[in-house]
Formats: sequence, structure tokens, C-alpha cells
Amino acid sequence: MTTARTPSAPATEATAVAPAGGVGEPTVGQQRPSRHGLTRPDGLTAVRVLVWLACAAVIIVPLASVVVLAAGGKHLPFLLQGDVVEAGVNSFVSATLSSLGAVVVGTALALLFERTDLPGRRVLRLVALSPLLVPPFVGAIAWIGVAGPTSPLNVWWRGITGEPLWSVYGGDGVVFLLTVHSYPIALLIVTAAIKRIPADLEQAARISGASAVRALGTVTLPLVRPALISAFTLIAVSNLADFGIPSIIGTPERFVTLSTLVYRYLQSGTIDSPLEVVATIGVVLLAIALLALVAEMAVSRRRTELDASSSPPQRLPLGRARPPVAIVTWGFVLALTLLPLIALLTQALLPAPGVPLTFENLTLDNIVRAVTASGTLSAIGNSVMLAGLAGAICVVLGLAIGALATRTRARDNGALSAIALLPQAIPGLVIAVAWLVIAPRIGLFNTPWLILAAYVTSFVALVVQSVGAPLRATPLSAEEAARVSGAGRLRALVDISARMALPAALAGGVLVVLSAVRELTLSVLLLSPGSQTLGVAIFNLQQAGAYNAASALALLVTIAGLAGLGLAARSSR
Amino acid sequence: MASVTLSSVDLRYPSGTQGLAGIDLHVEDGEFVALLGPSGSGKTTLLRTVAGFLAPTSGRVLLGERVVAGDGAFVAPEHRSLGMVFQQHAVWPHWSVGRNVEYPLKLAKVPRRERAERVASVLELVGLAGAAKRDPATLSGGQRQRVALARAIVAEPGVLLLDEALSALDEPLRDRLRLELQSLTRRFGLTVIHVTHDRDEALALADRVVVLDGGRIQQVATPPELVSRPASAFVARFVSDATIIAGALVPGTTGAGGFVGSGHAVRIDAAVIERGGTEGSRDGAEVHLAILPEDVVLAPSGRAGDGDAVVVSSLFGREGNDVVVDWGGLALRSRTAGFRPIVGERVLVRVRRAIAYPGGASRSPLVPVPLGV
Repeated sequence: MTTARTPSAPATEATAVAPAGGVGEPTVGQQRPSRHGLTRPDGLTAVRVLVWLACAAVIIVPLASVVVLAAGGKHLPFLLQGDVVEAGVNSFVSATLSSLGAVVVGTALALLFERTDLPGRRVLRLVALSPLLVPPFVGAIAWIGVAGPTSPLNVWWRGITGEPLWSVYGGDGVVFLLTVHSYPIALLIVTAAIKRIPADLEQAARISGASAVRALGTVTLPLVRPALISAFTLIAVSNLADFGIPSIIGTPERFVTLSTLVYRYLQSGTIDSPLEVVATIGVVLLAIALLALVAEMAVSRRRTELDASSSPPQRLPLGRARPPVAIVTWGFVLALTLLPLIALLTQALLPAPGVPLTFENLTLDNIVRAVTASGTLSAIGNSVMLAGLAGAICVVLGLAIGALATRTRARDNGALSAIALLPQAIPGLVIAVAWLVIAPRIGLFNTPWLILAAYVTSFVALVVQSVGAPLRATPLSAEEAARVSGAGRLRALVDISARMALPAALAGGVLVVLSAVRELTLSVLLLSPGSQTLGVAIFNLQQAGAYNAASALALLVTIAGLAGLGLAARSSR
Repeated sequence: MASVTLSSVDLRYPSGTQGLAGIDLHVEDGEFVALLGPSGSGKTTLLRTVAGFLAPTSGRVLLGERVVAGDGAFVAPEHRSLGMVFQQHAVWPHWSVGRNVEYPLKLAKVPRRERAERVASVLELVGLAGAAKRDPATLSGGQRQRVALARAIVAEPGVLLLDEALSALDEPLRDRLRLELQSLTRRFGLTVIHVTHDRDEALALADRVVVLDGGRIQQVATPPELVSRPASAFVARFVSDATIIAGALVPGTTGAGGFVGSGHAVRIDAAVIERGGTEGSRDGAEVHLAILPEDVVLAPSGRAGDGDAVVVSSLFGREGNDVVVDWGGLALRSRTAGFRPIVGERVLVRVRRAIAYPGGASRSPLVPVPLGV
């Protein structure tokens, strides 16, 4: 293209007429018919270039630099050392077991809630989803109150038998807590899959002579198998590098995982060139995550097409089993969700661990001290600022990526959305290491902005995903109507599609803010002087032995998070 | 208002599919033209080429005197000053009715005060007076289509494009909007190009109908001309449900001459055969014979088992019953008023008029529709 269009030219002038002809096609057929007429450089092209630059800056460059740093390979032998191998095995086993457990629990609950006449299933479903709203490290602190060595339960049991019933500390506790904090994801995914299966399919099986249970087992379950597999990979990848749970629950029993090992390497200068070693570990994790992703894609490609469900599903009557099933399910879910919250509450209100729970002993001192401590206040300020900025940046960038990838026709659309969604499959640990690697070169070393950058890398996918559905559902003619009305390509995209997806983008932004406020892995690894966040403050209180103060702060974070998510859920409706 | 001219427009999709081939069409200023054709015939492609959503591979498109595509120029849709109504109305759900209608004026930088006035008056015009503040979600399908129409005409476009604009509506409502659309466009002398697959709609609304097939124009004619003198066997079948029979014209003096079907024992007397198409057909030539349903007269046979055709289906219609008979192995369509035979009955068949078109020249192979389809 030779001439640029004058932006101020009136619509009717011939300046709108650019010389035709693609660069490499001088003869007939210069103007390839495309859905948007001629694709000549305009405002939209500029936006596309900007979005690519932003993606390069926050995703491609950091991740590539970890790979480059590790690519020397001279630290590969280091990986075969005893404690790295041990940590790797621990990470792998705990991720696999907890993911398996989460899928089993999530599927069982999904079937009970969606396909049986379980009493109170609607309320119970919301209760069962609540661990999703509690940050894993807060959950860990809470469960110490339920099943720690000095918890009322274990103290009471020791009084009878001389032995504690079960201590949450150690590998089994890590697997248990990871399971508790990831089964809600499985529940969500499997529920969505079950809802997509038309009730007619099961009814056809019933008419053909299958019993209700048999129809469930032979028709419904095989159809949700892809969802089970994708839930398993998603959960396993995210549990592979969780930091809060293993460091709070595993470390006291010397149960070391890759994430806690990396933290130790970075904190204490026990090894030479820790960054390179850590980058090598990060790349190994990255490779595992990508392999899992590829495996999942290969499986989900064989997904069967399902027609839209029309008739409501036939619920399986539990009959005489209804009361016992109800009691067991309610008891199970309440034990997993309410018990730790109660424990957190009592810990927050008691002056020290082990103090008997009586009315006279209850005090608000912990909460007052937690809220008024200067470190806490600055941590709250840091978290709110970083999370708010991350939310704002993610809304703009995520909406731009989503709009370009779904509403325009270009060869790079697939790559753009794949790159934006990639960090979701990458352990937070790797992202933190990536930013550590490039921080000195871009002058962000030891500044809070490093944490902001890592938040954007990790969470922009949340917005891209939440705008995907409304953008795809907008008919092409909505934008074409704007074009005919006199809007250019960029203007039509902004005024119509992007504007229509804005509520979804804002809901995604709220999710980003809430995730960032309660985040620990990135913040603790990228910690710099004066940039302590809320998650790090709680973690440090816990590490310093101030359990009750940590619980008090954790309680406040949880309540604020629940309130925020409730608000977001209400406003997005 | 402006005229629309397309000259030798070709359009080939990147996949290699021919979208349009050799389109020459001139729509007069103030004329209402309907584009009619089966799905995949290129009617929507043609409309989108005029709108600027598609660029022709070769040829020129003019709006008035202005070249908008071709001659190395291409004007983007937003600079063509058009109005367009889409099948699924495309009313923007995130804006009120007023903001929807106002949008083209806003982009044209019309002052705010004037915008409000024009929005109010155009909403009144489409029968939605006072609805400017309403949320489109609270409107019915017909009302949304009125909003879309108001939005399309508010900026006084040169040409109004209607892309299956009425097709998504239910029957009684569609009928009423058809009436309103005609009186509105005639009152303001709008140039309209209306794409539809509904034959009755095209015939009812348009000054001229353009019949398309395979990306080519098959015939451009006024509705009465199109019905009585279809230009090809395809047009006869598509527009009027004519029965098409392949065969030959045999010479002869009285009685013996006429049409003989190939593969059918059908003979049609030369006296009722007209020569259709541009070149006409000589005796002895391979032809496709088109028989319009109106020209097939059915009569009850005297006794059971008598008569030369068996009734296959017999649907009731307001202007005549739609009857298909098996006539010597040929499915023959008839529109018969006053007499509604029952399925299985034997009837007498008389062909009043038939049109012979040169055979083999037609693009789409015209095989008689087999029975039972």
C-alpha cells in the first residue's frame, strides 16, 4: 500500500479510495473477496500490532528467556541430585493423587446434584463450591486448626488413646488439601458437561429397556469422559506447582516439592547460580505442563457432537436410600467446607494455639492487631494497588485479544489466542522464575512492578476466556450493520462487539483482582523490599509462628473474597 | 437516492468457488428490485458486493456516477452511504432503540439536536413512535425489524439493501411488514435491492425481479412477465413450479407433430407449444418442455379406472388446489381451481400451453422430478 488515508477526510471524498492491489498481486484478482472487504492497513492493523507487542512483552519474552537460560543444559545433571529428584517425585505423586481424588469427588457430587433427587442439592452445590473461593494457603492454615497436632480433635483423641488421630502435616496432608481445594473445579467442569448431554439420550436408553442406573452408566458417563480427562489434566498441572499448601503443610514434616525447593534455593544462597538451576527446574515443569496440554487436546479432539438439550433431565429417584445418601453427602461436604472455616474463626478469636475454647478466652485482639499492624496495612495497600492495576490492564488487553481473535479474519488469530491462554497451563512458579530471569535487564529488579507484570502474565487468560463466549455469540451482521451505518473496521469492532463484551470483560477483571489479592506463589517468589502483599504477609506471620494473627488476617481475606465474588456474581447476571 | 450499476462483475472466492459470473445489472434511481434465487445462487453475494463487504474479482460497481469498486478503486462499506437491513435484524442489544437508530447520524457528525428530531420522526414512520428509550430486548421480532429498518433509512441512504429482511418473521406479521415496506419505500422513492428466496414476496414487492442461479443472472423482468414468459426452463421451474420434460420437437402436419418426451410416453400437440428462450427451437431439436401448473387442466374421469393419470398428492390452496399426478410415469404439477381430486383417483389431463426451450443449453441439468419426491 502506498498512500495512507487522511483521517480527517470526509466520508464522501475520494480519499477513501485507496489504490487497490495486494503487494504481491499486481494483476486481476487484486482484491481478494474477504468478509470485510479489502484488508488494507488501518486503525485495526495498528491495534493488532500493539496487541502483539503487549503479548510479546508479558508472555513470549519472559517465557522464552527461561527456556533460553535453561537451554545451556549445564544444570541438567543438577536435576538428578537427590533432593531435586525427591522433590520432583513428591510433586508428581501429590499432583496426580490429588487430581484423581478431585475428579472422583467432583464427579460423584456432580452426579448427585444434577441427576438425583438429593434433598437440598441446590444449596449444597453452592456450599461444595466454596473452597474455590478460599486461597489454598488460607485453607492450609484453616485445616491446621482442624487436624493440626494441637487441634481440639487431636488433643481430645490423644486424651483417650495417647496417640493423635491424624495430623494434617506431611505428604498425606498435602494430597488431602490439594484435593479439597481442587475438587470444586472438577465439580464445575463435570456439571457443565452433564448439563450439555441432552436428556433425550438417557430417555432413549430407558425406552430401550435400560434401568435408570444403567442408562446413567452406559450413556451419560461415557459422554462426560472427555470432561473428566480435561478436568484431571487442568487440576494436575495447577497442583504440580502449588506453593502455599506444601510449604505450610509439607515443610514441617520435610515433605519437599519442587515449588518449596525452588523457594528455598532462591531464599538461601545454598547453591551456586540459583537462577539458572531454578530456570532449569521451571523448564522441566513447563515441558510437563505442555505435554499434559497436548495429551488433553488429542483426547478432546475425539469429542462427540451433541445436540442442544431441550427437555429437562429425568432425575434418578433415590427412593429408600434417600435419607442415608443425604446424610452422608451433607456431612461430607460440610466437613470439607464448614469445619475449616470454623477452625479459622476460633483460631482468629483465641489468643494462642492450644488455649481451650471457652467464651471468656475469646478475644478480638488478633484481628485488631492484624489489621492495625503497619506491615499489614502496607501489604493491604500493595495488594489492592497491584491487583487493581493488574485487573485494569488485563481487562484492556484481554478484551483486545479476544476481540481480534474472534471478530476479525487473520492468519495469526489462532496463534494470538493460544499465546494469551498459554500461561493458564503454566505453573505460577515458572512464570515467577521467568520474570526473575529478565527483571535485571529491564530495570524492574527489586520493584513491586515485577509482581504486577507477573500478575498480568498469569491472569490475562481469565479475561480472554470470559469474553470469548459473548464475542463468538455476536452475529457478524451486528458489526456489518455498523459498517453500513458509516463506521470503519476499528470503530465497528469497538462500538459493537467490544462494547457488547464489556460486561464479561469487567467480570473477568473482577476475577483477576480477586485472584491477585489472594495470590501467594508469584508474590512470595518475586518479593522485594517494601512490596509485601497480603498473601505474603499472612504467609510470613504463619512462618514466624504467629498462628492466631495469621488466622485472623486469613479470615478477613476470606470474608472479603467471598463478599467480592458474591458481588461479582450478582452484577454479572 | 442513487442508481446502482454493475458491469461484467465477476467474483471468485479464495476457495475457488465462483460467487458471481458476468453480472450486468442496472437498478434505476427509485426502483425496487428483488434478487431471487435458490440458496447458493449468488443473490446474497451480489448484495454484499454492492454493500462493499465483498470486492469483485473483476468488473465495476457504481453507485450513481461514483465507481465504488473496480478500476483499481475500492470504497469501504462505511463510505458508500447505504442503508441495510439484515435477516436477524442485527439490532445492537447494548443500546436503546434511540441510540441504535441514532448511530448512523452520529457517525455522519449530525448535530445532537437534529439527531434527536430525525430519530423521533423516523421511529414514527416505522410505527414505533416514542420507543426511543426502550431496551431492544423488550421488543418483539417484528418491532426489532422495524428498528433495523429505521436505522437503515435514518441517514437518507443512497440505496436501501434488504438481506432476507422479512424471512425471519412469522407469516401474518411478515405479510403486514411487506405491505408497510412497500408503502414506505414508494412514498419516499427509495432505491431498494431486496434479497429473498420467497418467490411470492419477490413478485409481490418488486418493480423488477432478478432471477439468479449459479452466480449468473437468468432473467430480469417485471413480475407479470416473469410469470407468463420465463426466459428458461430453470426460471419456469424455480419461479412457477413448472414441470420440465426432456424430449424433442417432431415435425409433422396436423395432429402428429409436436413434442415427444424421451423416456416418457408423453406427447404434446404442436398447437399448444410456444417457443421460449432467446433463439427459439427448431423442429427436430432436443428441447426442454416446461408446463406451468396453471396450464394443466384436470378433470374428473367418468368411471373408476378410467382417465390417463393417477393423483399422487392433492393440497388445498386459496387460488387453486396444488395437485401432482402421475402421468405416464411423469410427476406433473397442476393448479386446479374448483376441483380437488383425492389421492389415488384417476383423472383426465389436458395441457393448455407448454413452452419449449433449447435443450442442453441450460446450465443445470433438468431432469424431471421423479415421483415420490
